[in-house]
Amino acid sequence: MLAVDDLVVSVVTSLGSLDIVRGVSFQIAPGEILGLVGESGSGKSMTSLAVMGLLETPRTRVTSGRIAIDGADITHATPYERVRKGNGDIAMIFQEPMTSLNPVRRIGDQIAEAIKVHDPKADVRARTQELMDLVRLPDSALQHGAYPHELSGGMRQRVMIAIALACRPKVLIADEPTTALDVTVQLQILGLLRDLCDRLDMGILFITHDLGVVSQLADRVAVMYAGQIVETGSVRTIFSAPLHPYTAGLMACVPDPSTGHAPLVTIPGQAPRPDEVPPGCPFSPRCSRADTPCRSGPVPTVRAGDHAALCHFPLNEELVHA
Amino acid sequence: MPEASMATPSPAAASPILELRDLTKHFRARRAGKTYTITAVNHISLDLVEGEVLGIVGESGCGKTTVGRMIIGLEQADEGEIRFGGSDILERRGAALKAARLKLRMVFQDPYASLNPRRSVEDSVAETGDIHGIFENAKHRREMVGEALTQVGLNPSFASRYPHELSGGQRQRVGIARAILPTPDVIIADEPVSALDVSIQAQVLNLLADLKARLGLTMMFISHDLGVVAKISDRVAVLYMGNVVEIGDGPALFADPQHPYTQMLIASVPRIDPASRVTGTVERGEPPSRFRAIEGCPFQDRCPKRTDICRTMPELLPTTPGRRVACHHVDAVVAAD
Repeated sequence: MLAVDDLVVSVVTSLGSLDIVRGVSFQIAPGEILGLVGESGSGKSMTSLAVMGLLETPRTRVTSGRIAIDGADITHATPYERVRKGNGDIAMIFQEPMTSLNPVRRIGDQIAEAIKVHDPKADVRARTQELMDLVRLPDSALQHGAYPHELSGGMRQRVMIAIALACRPKVLIADEPTTALDVTVQLQILGLLRDLCDRLDMGILFITHDLGVVSQLADRVAVMYAGQIVETGSVRTIFSAPLHPYTAGLMACVPDPSTGHAPLVTIPGQAPRPDEVPPGCPFSPRCSRADTPCRSGPVPTVRAGDHAALCHFPLNEELVHA
Repeated sequence: MPEASMATPSPAAASPILELRDLTKHFRARRAGKTYTITAVNHISLDLVEGEVLGIVGESGCGKTTVGRMIIGLEQADEGEIRFGGSDILERRGAALKAARLKLRMVFQDPYASLNPRRSVEDSVAETGDIHGIFENAKHRREMVGEALTQVGLNPSFASRYPHELSGGQRQRVGIARAILPTPDVIIADEPVSALDVSIQAQVLNLLADLKARLGLTMMFISHDLGVVAKISDRVAVLYMGNVVEIGDGPALFADPQHPYTQMLIASVPRIDPASRVTGTVERGEPPSRFRAIEGCPFQDRCPKRTDICRTMPELLPTTPGRRVACHHVDAVVAAD
């Protein structure tokens, strides 16, 4: 199980040190998909890079909080140190597989390389075949020794998933893995991820801006705004009765083919830059429910069962218990 | 306007402002030492009636962007006609072509790439007007730019800013302001909201719908996103591998898709619905390689209704009112006229 506790990520800029992830906590159980939703700049990708151990640079680093997998603290361990200590249990796939794959190496060799890194004694050929079957890559792709450019976007993403699965991860981080794909192919990759999660009992942290994708795929959702998780809960409760006005606003912005020409309800303004996050609730300048308490001081957490939100004046208030 | 929105070409409707006739574009590509000819756009005919928004929807490689680029003149058509203002713009040269370009304008997808970073907002918005000499003096230019910025919901003071000082949504508003100064006859909008965050996308979509109503804009709205196309389009054309497979009145088409490809496309959109989940069994294939010529219906390899007849190319024929579908397995009606 992956546990992230009060994670803070800071960037050093000419304006000084800015917190771009501000106290994020979540857990992912085996066989569970957590959808991390947010708009550009909300901190969702930074959170995932911190979990993956890809963040430690002179300018960007985890300044507080803890990331643990099955109890082992990996907060400041690089991917190399994690593999060496036997904590290489997290794998990641990205939006555009073409930029992650080596263009001049055959895809079979790239899958084999990942197997050898994690298990030098493995029967590489058998394991490659096993991974290709798992992600439903046709045998022809390997037999013909295909290069990445010869595959479609959907097939390239399957290759990336096969490489990610080579280390038998307990948690797979998927950062917008279907955003660059056509909608019919996207559905196939989402179906594959759901299937892999169930069959391998693997947790998935699925990062996306697309609420529709999260609604169809995830078990639980965390909505990020200005570096914080502002609402979290099961897919069913969040999408049927959101507590946070931002979540409800995002849902209303999504155009649905069946609703015709009715104007979309929009959220006025835009998300704050990290150096301009307002005091109090960061969403208050854009929020129609905001009042004096929202503009300064800490924001309370309201709960309804497993569903929680950071808000003074939540929607669906009758569900909230003290 | 309701008249226009119902008008799939019927004799009673207003004559179209822009007509594409058998428009075709081939690209040459080399692969493994061989040269292939890929038909990106295959004899497409479409009409754009004054005051309507025609949505063009399809997946990557369907030819939707190439159609828009041919109309604007960024891509040379290999065959066919683009009739605008009474004549084929592909035949026009010199002053006549320049005049057409003032009336046919484009909004691009990427608001970061489509604005010159070293030009102020005023200079970018005024560029078309400068080329065509429509401004009387600097004051007039400033006023016209200010008015265009107001139209797109920006304060006229934005005129002195540079692109790096703007957010993505503001840049796209500048891109739209540039396309409406001076007011064009037709706007080709290629994925104008795809690069924007969902909350900003909704704002820009509402702006486009508002401009359409206020300025009576005629627009070709090209997008891969069915929800976005449905929100703004009076009529919708669905493209697959360079062919129009279905065209019709927007809301009706989304409520009752008739071509098997349109049905699959609409069913694939992930909707916010807590009761519906993806399953691991979705396997409907991918669009076939463009390097292999297909005899007959381009969708046959993925189509659940496929039979032997699909090896011949289906015609785009009328079915229900306002709808035409290119499928052997959808019953066509004989046109009443």
